[in-house]
Amino acid sequence: MAEITFENVSKTYPGGKAAALTDFNLRIEDGEFIVLVGPSGCGKTTALRMIAGLEDISGGTLRINDKVANDLAPRDRDIAMVFQSYALYPHLTVAENIAFGLKVRGAKPEVIEKKVRETAELLELTEFLERKPARLSGGQRQRVAMGRALVRSPNAFLMDEPLSNLDARLRGQMRAEIARLQRLSAVTTVYVTHDQVEAMTMGHRVAVMNRGTLQQLDTPRHLYDKPANMFVASFIGSPPINFMEGELTAHEGGPALACGPLMLPLGEAGRRLSSRRPGKVILGMRPEHMKIAPEAGSGTFGARAAFVEDLGATLLLHMDEHGIAIGHANMVEDDRDLMTTVPKLKALVDSSHRIQRDDRVHLTIDPALILLFDPATGAAV
Amino acid sequence: MARVSTRRIFLERTTVLVATLVFLLPVCWLISTAYKPSNQIFSVPPRLTFQPTLDQFRAAFALFDVAALMRSSLIISIGTTVLSLVLGVPAGYALARSRSRYSAGFAYFFLAIRMIPSIAALIPFYLLMRDIGLLGTWWAVIVFNTMLNCAFVTWMMFSYFKALPPDMEEAALTDGCTQIGAFWKVAVPTVRSGIIACALFCMMFSWNDFLNPMFLTTLDSKPISVALLTAYGTKDITWGTLGALAHFSTIPIVLMALVMNRYFVQGATNGVQ
Repeated sequence: MAEITFENVSKTYPGGKAAALTDFNLRIEDGEFIVLVGPSGCGKTTALRMIAGLEDISGGTLRINDKVANDLAPRDRDIAMVFQSYALYPHLTVAENIAFGLKVRGAKPEVIEKKVRETAELLELTEFLERKPARLSGGQRQRVAMGRALVRSPNAFLMDEPLSNLDARLRGQMRAEIARLQRLSAVTTVYVTHDQVEAMTMGHRVAVMNRGTLQQLDTPRHLYDKPANMFVASFIGSPPINFMEGELTAHEGGPALACGPLMLPLGEAGRRLSSRRPGKVILGMRPEHMKIAPEAGSGTFGARAAFVEDLGATLLLHMDEHGIAIGHANMVEDDRDLMTTVPKLKALVDSSHRIQRDDRVHLTIDPALILLFDPATGAAV
Repeated sequence: MARVSTRRIFLERTTVLVATLVFLLPVCWLISTAYKPSNQIFSVPPRLTFQPTLDQFRAAFALFDVAALMRSSLIISIGTTVLSLVLGVPAGYALARSRSRYSAGFAYFFLAIRMIPSIAALIPFYLLMRDIGLLGTWWAVIVFNTMLNCAFVTWMMFSYFKALPPDMEEAALTDGCTQIGAFWKVAVPTVRSGIIACALFCMMFSWNDFLNPMFLTTLDSKPISVALLTAYGTKDITWGTLGALAHFSTIPIVLMALVMNRYFVQGATNGVQ
């Protein structure tokens, strides 16, 4: 079992335009399942590869069990890694693939045979033990990669987007399976993904990263309810959160939010803002928190449904707002601004509402569910 | 539509047949001379039917030490192949995994070495071998051919290893291998078909090579390819004897190409298996 600590770790690739990792601090507890999540190029895979010893560290200290591991060879870390491509050895059978790590470390043949058999049973691979990887399906290959990691009982598991090559149904199955195996083995696990469903459902804690820095480290529930900044708020949650420019103001003796024609008295929810001076703020409204109001009135605003996506249980409405400025988080992937076009206001409503394209609807939201951000820094207010 | 396709098939097959005949005719003629009585070899018009005889083989064995010639050819070919692979495979791997931006340039530089006409390097090499006392030995040919083939193997293996995702070697490193262990236990077996293709290229080049051993070997160390030509013009030696000797020069390499054909095609076309 291992405790892994990043202390001000940085990484710059030769010739790279920007640092892949900047002053990265993270402490992964023994036995913890932590998920590193973020858009492509955010530095999550670099951090994972540093733990494995496959990437040099430009600055700072990486500790494994309180021992500085910056220059430790991968084989001396006793860490198992599952790769995105599975990286199975094509010339070896499933049994030989699983046994490889044990064999290299000089385990006795009878121990190897026993452990391979047990692992194959655990992962339901017994009937495929003599097959070569080329003759396995994607799901089976993924399980062999898992088996290769599990068989060694290592200090920690590192998983680099291990489910990204599977179809949606299998991904769902394997998500649950990996979480179950981790709880069973209680081995420290670092899991890298860009899929927020995996991030929200699998880990004890989630580290959200962007542009080589850690944005927030928290439980999935806290990330959703109390994001530290606009980036985290926009990355966690599907469909993504709506941002609107608004103003914190006073209305009928209490704090209120003014957003275009919308005036929302905050009531009890405004207590937390009592110390903040009136001024501009960014409102974050999650599409699933928006409700259809039966008629226009105080605390509602009207908009035209420009496009309606029927998702079965729910309808995703893309609204043409009137008089409300829609903002966006500073979210960049591979140097491209992901939201260069100003998005439409989204609302996720129950499918019992029969809303068609071009219908005019009135929306409202519980003020307690509105997230507020500082327009200058993007940090949560 | 059916007519066009039938015509096309006919044309394709005729073309293949003509091409095969063009390639095989000289070989068939040479082979047949080995079984013809001497007085029928140059008969005009050529006789397609004749009483086969093994006299030419008896003459070949009487005039040449066929076993010694074959042994020389084998030692030179195997020696060159082994040495080229031992040096070229790790060199190709190192270049493929190098993070230098010049690695591809280096690989093409190695290919350029292979393109140098061997005669250009042969004369200084001849003098070098003479000075260090290796002239006339198998080593002289093995070292010279390795110099040329190793460059080719390095370039070929650079391409194979470059096409191999580094994930597998990284998996081996985390599984407990050293860098050399990952190379030996994972990278090398994965590009096996490429290595076999390289070995076949080296083997064929060395077995069929005439010019280099012609300069660098003596009577005791010359391979069969040199013996074939030096024999020509000697008054006791006929075309029939040469035809018989040609059997020993061609059959081993043709057999090897047939047996290894699968690997050769895989390695030369598919890249990583």
